[in-house]
Amino acid sequence: MATLALALRLARRELRGGLRGFRIFIACLALGVAAIAGVGSLAAAIGEGLRSDGRALLGGDLELRLTHRQATPPELVWLAREAEVSTVANMRAIAHNRANDRRTLVELKAIDAAYPLYGALTFDPPLTADAALGLRDGVYGAAVEAALLDRLGAKLGDVLTVGDAMLQVRAAIRSEPDRGGGGLTLGPRLLIAAGALPGTGLVQPGSLVYWSYRVRLDPGADTAAFRRNVEAAFPDAGWQVRDYASASPGLREWVNRIGLFLTLVGLTALLVGGVGVGNAVRSYLDGKSETIATLKCLGAPGRVIFQVYLMQVLALALGGVVIGLALGAALPPLLSGLMADRLPVPARVGLYPAPLLLASAYGFLTALAFALWPLARARLVPAAGLFRDLVAPTRLLPGVPYVAATIAAFVALAAVAVISAEERRFALGFVAGAAASFILLRLVAALVVWIARRAGRPRSPYLRIAVANLHRPGAGTASVMLSLGLGLTLLVTVALIQGNLAHEVEQSMPAAAPAFFFIDIQPDQLVDFEALAKSVPGVTGVEVVPQLRGRIAKVNGVPAEQVAAGPASRWALRGDRGLTYAARVPPGSTVVEGQWWPADYHGPPEISLDEGIARDLRLKPGDSLTINVLGRDMDARIANLRRIDWSTLGINFAIVFAPGAIEAAPHTFLATARAEGPAEEALYRAVTDRFANVSPIRMKEVLATVNDLLGAIGRAIDVAAAVTLLAGVLVLGGALAAGHRRRVYDAVVLKVLGATRRDVMGAYVLEFGLLGLATAVVGGVLGWIAGWIVVAHVMTIEWVALPWVAAATASAGVVVTVALGLVGTFAALSRRPAAVLRQS
Amino acid sequence: MLKQSPAMTVIVAAIQVQIGNRRIFMASAMQVKVATDPLVRLDDVHLTLVSTAGAVNILRGISLEIFAGETVGVVGPSGSGKSTMLSVMAGLERATSGTVTVAGGDLGRMDEDALARFRRDNLGIVFQSFHLIPTMTALENVAIPLELAGRRDAFAAAEAELAAVGLSHRLTHYPAQLSGGEQQRVALARAVVSGPKLLLADEPTGNLDGATGRQVIDLLFALQQRGGTTLVLITHDAELAARCGRVVRLGDGRIVGDSKHQAPRAAGAS
Repeated sequence: MATLALALRLARRELRGGLRGFRIFIACLALGVAAIAGVGSLAAAIGEGLRSDGRALLGGDLELRLTHRQATPPELVWLAREAEVSTVANMRAIAHNRANDRRTLVELKAIDAAYPLYGALTFDPPLTADAALGLRDGVYGAAVEAALLDRLGAKLGDVLTVGDAMLQVRAAIRSEPDRGGGGLTLGPRLLIAAGALPGTGLVQPGSLVYWSYRVRLDPGADTAAFRRNVEAAFPDAGWQVRDYASASPGLREWVNRIGLFLTLVGLTALLVGGVGVGNAVRSYLDGKSETIATLKCLGAPGRVIFQVYLMQVLALALGGVVIGLALGAALPPLLSGLMADRLPVPARVGLYPAPLLLASAYGFLTALAFALWPLARARLVPAAGLFRDLVAPTRLLPGVPYVAATIAAFVALAAVAVISAEERRFALGFVAGAAASFILLRLVAALVVWIARRAGRPRSPYLRIAVANLHRPGAGTASVMLSLGLGLTLLVTVALIQGNLAHEVEQSMPAAAPAFFFIDIQPDQLVDFEALAKSVPGVTGVEVVPQLRGRIAKVNGVPAEQVAAGPASRWALRGDRGLTYAARVPPGSTVVEGQWWPADYHGPPEISLDEGIARDLRLKPGDSLTINVLGRDMDARIANLRRIDWSTLGINFAIVFAPGAIEAAPHTFLATARAEGPAEEALYRAVTDRFANVSPIRMKEVLATVNDLLGAIGRAIDVAAAVTLLAGVLVLGGALAAGHRRRVYDAVVLKVLGATRRDVMGAYVLEFGLLGLATAVVGGVLGWIAGWIVVAHVMTIEWVALPWVAAATASAGVVVTVALGLVGTFAALSRRPAAVLRQS
Repeated sequence: MLKQSPAMTVIVAAIQVQIGNRRIFMASAMQVKVATDPLVRLDDVHLTLVSTAGAVNILRGISLEIFAGETVGVVGPSGSGKSTMLSVMAGLERATSGTVTVAGGDLGRMDEDALARFRRDNLGIVFQSFHLIPTMTALENVAIPLELAGRRDAFAAAEAELAAVGLSHRLTHYPAQLSGGEQQRVALARAVVSGPKLLLADEPTGNLDGATGRQVIDLLFALQQRGGTTLVLITHDAELAARCGRVVRLGDGRIVGDSKHQAPRAAGAS
């Protein structure tokens, strides 16, 4: 303890020397910590928004959701006896403004008088729900999202047609409490009263209607007990029960996933900054070698010296971390205002300790991981250096405990990254990739130095100076290559992932994708529909398949809720899925395991399952799934596994039944059709004119929605990646600052010997050009490999090399390196020789 | 035998000072032991350093004994090994071969931390370039050796020592705020504050003008005499060397002259 107190005292005195040389150290840590803390805080704010608004988002304490069918009278009686109930129906429909013949797909929602059980539904003008939606002069009202009015060229008071019903638009929706709890929305909201729904004629057997029964329990009542009771009372109801704590699992998972990705990008920024931290500590300790030697002469043991400088590093790291935390914590209030329209739920702005703690841990561990090595070497500063100039080489490696501590700090950093991530495999992959990049970049840097050392003696003196600057003692080659190289690797990776996603969405998908999906075609409309669609000139590829919705209830007899599902199959177990039946292998599918059934199969229920889901659930042909269809559990044997090419956007289902099992259930048909230009609009109008209950979903609009989402995510990733490059630039700045005195001296000597400023600048351009080129090549190649792994093996979409993206990004790296290098050395060129030489 | 010892003067002085005290005989007995055992003993010390230019033999068989209370001037041309010999005595440099014993401790057997503690407890060093720690005040610079030794009165003792070198008005000044002479006086105070057995000084006036240098040297000898400390002083100045009781001359890594032992072959022989 006495030693520690002494070390603390000495460290405090040493820090009187000021923070010169540590600005980069602090900036690097602050930047990385700010990125991680900011992303974490924003994710936590959204998560808290989800949690605290869970009841409003869900619409109740619990929601029981049925697809296709409504609750039976006994079920309704039971629910009404146990709790307060609100019934909501959701479906997609076409809203038609006959005044101007404009029509569009809407998300139709019919609510009862009890809605909403939590939160508030408000309109503009401020009407009551009854005034906005109720029956007035024989016409029901409707409230709409403002976007719908624009799209239909309508205004308040106009009458729209939905199915067979006429609805008067009486208000715009200002707030709809459960709006964020839904999934992907394909159109603006149109809200009507439950009483108006039958008049639309849209609810027919097999129609894709989601019936939600939201319940409000007495205060303090046990939701879990209610859930158990309802499942015991109606074991075969087939409803999906969710409570407010998991109001929007998909959204939460999405926020977590994006949060993790951005956190890892932030961690890369921190790792890049770590190189700057190491450089700053090394450079600082180099300047302290006389003090260290003096302390040793006065009897300070190596341990005390290590502690003195470790404490300084920790104190400075604390400064960097605190600045980073302050910036990071300020991010959610700033961003949530700017992004309010983009966020699915209002972010609950506040101070969230967990992400801040995590960011602090990253910050301190990074500081330790990169500083321990130079700190340990400070112990080895020879005290005898005070007596003589002859330099005997010191041991290169610090003692075993310090090497072990350095390794432990890096391992702890990796462990925190993996343990704190929900998707640990992804985080582990990132850690492995970062480590591999680090090692490779370090090796290549050593190779560059080695080559420069053996480059011989170029005839041009300036090339000679440039090459010598790459390998001379104290050259920043390794640290610049490492930090900028890591930043470039990430940038190239991100650019390639985004490029591939854009390519996938914009180019490969539309080429193969149909123009429309038509849903809710009744069996008795099928023949007419096909005939109509085919009769429109320019329409091709009309395909029709039966469809109904069902839910995986059990996997090999184990209830779905108890199955440990991986990310690839979680979506399949959550909620209901589209089902179909087929006699032959559907187009776009290939059987990879097991046998397809005979076309005239009539036997016990069999299914064909998507290969990805099967692998994730460890299922093989012969295993069984229990599918709940319209409230009835159906055990089906897995006959075969299919590989599905989802990217064609053709009709495909993860689960396909063999003939004979589900045809008898009420169901509708799903159709696709290809059409371009005028044919697309003609088909749209023909179908919506003729079949009021059939809803066309325009693929262009879906893709635009997806693109919009991808664009927003892409911008967030761009910003995070730019932070990483900024960290790299900081490290470069630090490395240049460390060598500044030497550069000034070199420039002055060269000028004394007759070199013009242009000559000296030429040498520097060569030096930074060589360094930038080597860094860009390595960063480009590593980024390309990482991009390929993520795109082809993690996202499993078709890999497009996009070499120009990699080359352009990497070239930008060269330009940045050269430009910053030259800016950094400009001062060296303008110094007057006499003044510098006098000082020397 | 005892009368021929170089430490004899000190022993007599010690007895004279302590006459009339019952502990006279014990004190003299202890001094006899010290007198027969040299404070510093270098025995056939070689030191070779390896640099990028190749191996350099800096010390080539130095044998030397220095007894408690002696003042020894070390002279010789640049590169003769003077500073290196001092480094070896301070345990800052390890001999490639031979043994180095200081104050009864075999420096070759000590690890780095043991050597640091040894210096703390036994040595004071004065450098040509002062080597004060720039971020610490004069008082803090002088207090460090005592702080390292865990002395609670470190600052009081340091203040007294600075007063002894005439710098009580400069306690809170940083090295950059002091003149060269003042800095060297702070360095002197730091070297003697812990009462070292051995004081090593490496050209302490090399960076000072003549008048300031003389003041510093006067102070150095005064402090040495005050504590009865053994002094080893490297200098290029023959006049200054002559103020020492003994002058050892180095040339090319060997002892080529010792004022106590006229012939080079006898150098270091006990």
